[in-house]
Amino acid sequence: MPENVSEHGGAASPADDSIWHWRCKVNGQIIERDLPASTTLLHALRDHCSLTGTKGACEEGECGSCTVLLDGAPVNSCLVLAAQTQDCQVTTIEAMASGRKLHILQDKFLAAGAAQCGYCTPGLIMAAAALLKQHPDPTPDEFLQGMEGNICRCTGYKAISEAIRQAAQEWPTPPEVP
Amino acid sequence: MATTPAPPPVTDKPLIEPSPTPYADPPPSPVGASARRLDGLEKVTGEALYAADFFPREADLFATILRSHEAHAEVLSIDTAPAMKVAGVVGVYTHVDVPGTNRQGLIKRDHPVLVEDRVRYKGDALAVVVATSESAAHAGRDAIRVRYRPLPVVGSIDDALAPKAPKLFPNGNVMGGKRIRKGDADRALAEADVVVSETFQTQTVDHAFLDVEAGIARWDGRTLVIHASGQWVHEERRLIALALGLPIEQVRVIQPATGGAFGGREDLGMQVHVGLAALKHPGKTIALRYDRAESMRARHKRHALRIHYTLGARGDGTLTAAKVTVFSDEGAYASTGPAVIRKASSHATGPYRVPNVHVDVYGVYTNNNPTGAMRGFGACQLAVAYEGMIDRLARKLGMDRVELRRRNLVRSGDAVTTGQVIPLATGVECLDAVMDRFRNGGRPLEPLPPYRRRGWGVSTICFGLGYGDGFPDASRAGVRFTRDGFLEVLTGAVEYGQGLLNMVAQIAAAELGMPIEKARVIWADTGRTLESGSSSATRQTYFTGNAVKRAASELKEEILDIAGTHLHVHPHEIVLRDGLAVTRFGEPRSVPIAELVADGFNRGYELSVKALYKPATLCENFETGQSPRAFITYLFVSHLAQVVVDVETGQVTVERYIACHDVGKAINPQSVDGQITGGVAQGIGMALMEEVVMREGRMANANFTDYILPTFRDVPPVETIILENQDPGGPFGARGVGEPPLIAAVPAVLNAIHDALGVAPHTTPCNPQRVWELLHPEQAEPPADIRFRTAPPHARP
Ligand code: FES
Ligand code: FES
Repeated sequence: MPENVSEHGGAASPADDSIWHWRCKVNGQIIERDLPASTTLLHALRDHCSLTGTKGACEEGECGSCTVLLDGAPVNSCLVLAAQTQDCQVTTIEAMASGRKLHILQDKFLAAGAAQCGYCTPGLIMAAAALLKQHPDPTPDEFLQGMEGNICRCTGYKAISEAIRQAAQEWPTPPEVP
Repeated sequence: MATTPAPPPVTDKPLIEPSPTPYADPPPSPVGASARRLDGLEKVTGEALYAADFFPREADLFATILRSHEAHAEVLSIDTAPAMKVAGVVGVYTHVDVPGTNRQGLIKRDHPVLVEDRVRYKGDALAVVVATSESAAHAGRDAIRVRYRPLPVVGSIDDALAPKAPKLFPNGNVMGGKRIRKGDADRALAEADVVVSETFQTQTVDHAFLDVEAGIARWDGRTLVIHASGQWVHEERRLIALALGLPIEQVRVIQPATGGAFGGREDLGMQVHVGLAALKHPGKTIALRYDRAESMRARHKRHALRIHYTLGARGDGTLTAAKVTVFSDEGAYASTGPAVIRKASSHATGPYRVPNVHVDVYGVYTNNNPTGAMRGFGACQLAVAYEGMIDRLARKLGMDRVELRRRNLVRSGDAVTTGQVIPLATGVECLDAVMDRFRNGGRPLEPLPPYRRRGWGVSTICFGLGYGDGFPDASRAGVRFTRDGFLEVLTGAVEYGQGLLNMVAQIAAAELGMPIEKARVIWADTGRTLESGSSSATRQTYFTGNAVKRAASELKEEILDIAGTHLHVHPHEIVLRDGLAVTRFGEPRSVPIAELVADGFNRGYELSVKALYKPATLCENFETGQSPRAFITYLFVSHLAQVVVDVETGQVTVERYIACHDVGKAINPQSVDGQITGGVAQGIGMALMEEVVMREGRMANANFTDYILPTFRDVPPVETIILENQDPGGPFGARGVGEPPLIAAVPAVLNAIHDALGVAPHTTPCNPQRVWELLHPEQAEPPADIRFRTAPPHARP
């Protein structure tokens, strides 16, 4: 190659991804799908189950937009492979309202104006549900530990904290987290 | 000679009896109510569909973009053959396949959609690959072979202005500039009792909206329909049509739910690329999405500004002169750069009375990311400078910072930087309100260990809303009743979280006496709505708000007309409220508006009105930058931040935050509060942590691990104070909120650090490393054993 010429690309096709037979209980329903083994839980839910309520934003565990409950515990679904959730229970934002009745957190988020663009909202509601399940009356430290993994670019967090605090006051009478 | 008539005898009785008011209390109006967001329900349930949410449902084919491997190079060849061999790839397109101008850019159209022969940043698009799956498209992209002849990378303003610098554009590396000349600044500085000087450097900032760019497009042989998130669908339609060589009526742009924008969607992202793919594959729905890295590498950024500022004053603190020279890093392409430069210079002395002003602003091309709009739009960087200068001057004079501001803030009837006289200036009122809250409220302060220092800082800013400077600025809107009794507002404006839907719905509902539950909004679809200008420049409340109010009030006349025939009174003796038409005098009688609407349709009324709001601003004198009406109106804001600085770790914590905004009238106080708190959070981010790091034209932190955003831990609950000095031209007196929360926040935090440490920050963000540098000016580098915590420990495993 002549000097001061750079050449890029021409890479071969990616290595074949083996197929994984994924079986998982999502929002109370057994789901079975054949997925490339490298599929994350986030993409399994969004691209293969049309459950697009769960959002992806950084896909490296920094923003919490993709938070779902895995056997009741909050996880960043972008960091979990679908294969790791074999026969587990996954709960997403789509399961929070029962019929037309909103979950208490959804109701408080709506009332407090805690959703502006709303992109962070599903993840925040799932993280808050997990927090309040564990600490129905969280101390400021418990609150921050439960919520600091979720980024919101729009609201400045005040209305979100307010909504979660108000939901906590009516906890645990509300419908249980599924 | 006529004699003067004797004055009438003075009596206690008023000469004119006031007419009886229809109600003891005015009925509650939808304007001023914190009504729930119209799009709130779908957002809290996860049902709202953002652009990427269409993928699993709609896509037939997937597209992706090949981006430049080099920051600056001649492109020798693009070999697409290897990509076409990848299984699943159905098309690879380069610049030769683009039928139109192949250019984009909001003001300066200097950005190629697909590069022809030269790449200018490491994000320039070279080819579009279309395949049957996303992974095949990515494999095809990686297979394309590109040969470049690398050119020297112009990595900074200094590189670009060096005598032997490679020319990035035929006319050289200076994109353009603007000047302000008012009085004689040099002479006034020479005569000033005190002079302070500083050089500020602000950083490149990423919008970091969470909803990464994505879109779908379909061409049916007649219309190209693109669903993608922008900030001005009608302008996007124009640009897409030009770039692709289509007549404008063959392009339709529809905005899906949008997860934030902040100026980051003002320039086109992938719209033309996905549109091109659709044109090449008629009848197929093409989907294209970025990942976070591509979003950060490709998108324009906030301009990094270097600001040389000299401020002169008399011994009593009266400001006499400001001399300001600004260099703006435009990156590879300018786009809105010329407008950002204008806005920066128009706000060079902020809300202060400065009789002698000399400002020069230059935009300089480099091989960094292109730049463009971001909340604050140049005014934000200048606020860092002028508010920093006021605190420096106060120290030098030994004067109280608040007193110095009060002495120099414009009062009603004074002029700002552009020479424009402000009829209603409320900066002093805002400043007094935050100081009053600060001194008479708040929790008792915890005592601090000696290595932690506390300080507070205040900022006061003004902001001219709208495009200004004579740039055409208009908004159109429609208001109509539907046969099922709903009040519909139609606007081309965009909702990306800021609360636009409620703003227009509440104004229309208030004007027509309808409950907000009966209002709905059709928005941002070039096939159904009229052009409302961009959702930027803090302009939508004022502009589209006014257009909606005009349309609604004309529609109201029609309803009143019909009501008159039902209630057998003159239409002007009827008011509309709570969904009823009610007689004003005597025993109230009423008829539901829904009934009037049904009757109106039966009688052949259209019950649909469109209106235009297009106020004029005036282009400045180019020699002096002076204009009697540079902006349609100004907003005034004052903020106060209280911080604690850990002098060992360099960590700055914002403990308390107070923000006072004069918004004219809060159409929806909850949204106003949300805009303020959100803007403050972004301001804290810009002041303390956010920074795009470029190394030789490569963005070194194109991810959320290294690009640090404020979390719950970084933002205290902002105490907001909303003042409502109604604007005579605004809808219901409203001005707007938008950008000022961020603009005022950055200097407030920096001034608080100045107060805590006694040394003034001049470079943003003031992260731990920079705090250390401020405290150790004699040492160039921190010792090797000091490790600054740059990332907050917020990642959950
Ligand atoms: S998308 Fe999973 S944490 Fe950001
Ligand atoms: S509401 Fe937009 S990111 Fe949270």
